[in-house]
Amino acid sequence: MAVGDRGSGARKPAGSRLAPASPAQLSAPIVVPNTLWQSANPLAYDGGQPTEVTHLREFGLTDAGRNDAARWGALQVIPTNADYIVDLIRANSLWPLLSGLACCAFEMMSSATSKNDMDRWGMFPFRASPRQSDVLIVAGTLTTKMAGPLIRLWEQMPEPKWCVALGDCTVSGGRYKRSYSVVQGIDRVMPVDVYIPGCPPRPEGLIYGMLQLGQLVKDRRGHWNEREIGPTVPDEI
Amino acid sequence: MPPRQPASRPSKSRAGKRAPEPPQQYASTDDPRVMLDRQIGALFEPIPPYPTQTEREGEFYTLRDGEMFLNVGPHHPSTHGVLRLVVKLSGEQVVDVDPVLGYLHRGVEKICENSDYYHVIDQVDPLEYVSALFQEWPAVLSFEKLMDVQVPRRAEYIRVLTGELLRISSHILYVGFYALDLGGLTPILYSFIERDEIVEMLAALTGARMLFNYFRIGGVNGDLNHEFMSRLGDWMSRAAKEVESSATLLNENEIFVRRTRDVGVLDRAAALRYGVTGGNLRASGVPFDVRRAHPYSVYPELDFNIPTRDEGDSLARYLIRIDEIRESIKIIDQCLHNMPDGPVMASLPRLIRPRPGRAWAAVEGPRGMLGVYTISDGSDQPFRFRIHDPSLLNLETLPALATGHLLADTMTIIASLDPVMGGIDK
Amino acid sequence: MDRTLKTRLEARVGSYLRSPIYQRHDETEIRIAPADVPEVLRTLHDVVDLRFEILADLCGVDTGEVMQVVYHLWSPMTSDWLRIVADGISRDDPRAPSATFLWIGAEWLEREAYDMYGIVFEGNRDLRRIFMPPDYTSFPLRKDFLLPDDAARSPGAGVRHVERTHVSADPAEGPEAGIRRAPVS
Repeated sequence: MAVGDRGSGARKPAGSRLAPASPAQLSAPIVVPNTLWQSANPLAYDGGQPTEVTHLREFGLTDAGRNDAARWGALQVIPTNADYIVDLIRANSLWPLLSGLACCAFEMMSSATSKNDMDRWGMFPFRASPRQSDVLIVAGTLTTKMAGPLIRLWEQMPEPKWCVALGDCTVSGGRYKRSYSVVQGIDRVMPVDVYIPGCPPRPEGLIYGMLQLGQLVKDRRGHWNEREIGPTVPDEI
Repeated sequence: MPPRQPASRPSKSRAGKRAPEPPQQYASTDDPRVMLDRQIGALFEPIPPYPTQTEREGEFYTLRDGEMFLNVGPHHPSTHGVLRLVVKLSGEQVVDVDPVLGYLHRGVEKICENSDYYHVIDQVDPLEYVSALFQEWPAVLSFEKLMDVQVPRRAEYIRVLTGELLRISSHILYVGFYALDLGGLTPILYSFIERDEIVEMLAALTGARMLFNYFRIGGVNGDLNHEFMSRLGDWMSRAAKEVESSATLLNENEIFVRRTRDVGVLDRAAALRYGVTGGNLRASGVPFDVRRAHPYSVYPELDFNIPTRDEGDSLARYLIRIDEIRESIKIIDQCLHNMPDGPVMASLPRLIRPRPGRAWAAVEGPRGMLGVYTISDGSDQPFRFRIHDPSLLNLETLPALATGHLLADTMTIIASLDPVMGGIDK
Repeated sequence: MDRTLKTRLEARVGSYLRSPIYQRHDETEIRIAPADVPEVLRTLHDVVDLRFEILADLCGVDTGEVMQVVYHLWSPMTSDWLRIVADGISRDDPRAPSATFLWIGAEWLEREAYDMYGIVFEGNRDLRRIFMPPDYTSFPLRKDFLLPDDAARSPGAGVRHVERTHVSADPAEGPEAGIRRAPVS
């Protein structure tokens, strides 16, 4: 079953060109050089400089990534009590990103609505934009096709950010352990702080997990840039 | 002040005058200084030529003057799951829509080919996770056909009872999500109150809130218990009123009605050609409901109507769901009154090994006709397990319905079609 | 089980049938060659006493030796479901005519059959992958596409999935060792 060599000779029926071209052509990047416009100042718009490192793993190896204090700059001299208060603030106001993929999304929504109210702990505003959220609650099965967009969402979230794996599918692949298109646990693609098992976990379970996350934030143990970044599952699995 | 130039006015009479010759502005196209429109357009082409293969891709990914692509999803608060739409817009008006699916494709059919029949019933739940029992139902029906099993009447009544409860829950969630997609943040809270009650009731009966795994080949997993009956009685005593009030929050809301009336009109012939089933088909004038067209279980003994409307727009699809909620309450009432005694499970061998054969069974789910086609080869695993989900064909009407409307109406149409991506993507 | 349906079908499409009409419970099954699919579907759809207007399902089946495309139709004229099995599509170059001329909804169902099996539907204007990513190179539901037996033995890690997994370590088993074949029936 060789994909791509389906040429059928001279006369092709209506709707020909049915078979895709070779996979290499499809997945080759489409590069559009900028030939339309050039700025007068060659150093403007970051001209001539390499782009900032955006990938988490490389960033984690740099100084700025390793040391949170670097981000405060001149405020380093403030003693750690302020950090404690800041973490207290963060823990009580974790804004989740509305990232419901499958069934667990319903339990997430159920825990956010009237009967099990997550707003009691400040987590009601489910932001639609990753730029405004703190926690990525991955609720639902992550498939290989969706993994790309989800990782892009994660990378778009500004630090400090935390990740919660909700449901068996995100913890370990769950009931789809043998599937050809399910990522076997999101910790293969992003660092996870709290795992909430269940299929689906009860809303009370999610709330318990979020409170544990708050505790993690307050203890500074879950500080995002001191964890290992990237897949935590060893290669031979 | 500079001296005024004498104005030369053309004489007003036209006698003896011919039309003036147009100025010589057009050079020959052979002139190398002339660039044809398409050459000029190529300089400013914002989208590089997409490697098109199919006809539809070719015509979709070709932009005309003034059109642009907008990518909606797969992460978007309004798309009922992970659905990606590539919308071709001309200003605010939608010219074409290309839905991209597969962001939730979990390979359930392949897993089911490698699982035994009990596990298949469990695997099939999370497809349409909103109404999980309706996935199990055609699966057990087809397995029962393969094994020639007679289901006891009490089990049938319990199946209908739980099914209709879940249908009400799904329709109430539909109302809530419809409003949420249009921007109304209140009805979803009411919907989730109702849904939580129904789902807690079913959790008392089946053990799980959402992925029930309750139906079995030859019956159901457990008999009704006291907790379930007390919760159900409690709910039924106020169901009609509460459901009416939360479902009709939107009926007379002018914004809602004006945003949904005459939006996404699906006419009768197109609905049949698309293979649309369920409330979307009945809203277009075709009274096709599997419970009446091809009755299964104990539906022939129950008295209920099939609401049908003619308009085919989003408002009609919404109103059909409201009518169906009322019909479902009637059915639950009859089930409770006529519940027979007896076993809830036929006696079957422990190892399920149907004889070789093929079976198809279909039920009426909240979104349409859910069908399961099973091929058995005599072993304890199905040889082929195929699930036909109604949301796939419901969503296929989206390009035709959304063309010509505004971008915001696309969300209205998706919400009215009620797709569940778990079922679409399997 | 509708006996009159059997006589009506034999009267209308009897020349296309490749095996006797099979009826069991509430289903009637006919087998035709893939090339006859357009005529048969058109006849079933248009003829006044058949009127199979609702396409219930379109799926592909891989029996290990051949492939099939299976249609399920419903008609208000009969109490049976009708199953049409277009049998005999080769596994090496699977082609079948498209049903989109009659039901435009079949477009996505045929895309799914193409995505899962590789069956090329001639006449479908939009035959590309629907569930798998567009650069995926396998057809998952084919019988020679094996799932990992145990996740610990799967060689994949990270985002990209495994395509061919758990190839048997026993060299005596040929490359077709894992294929389950349908019973000859």
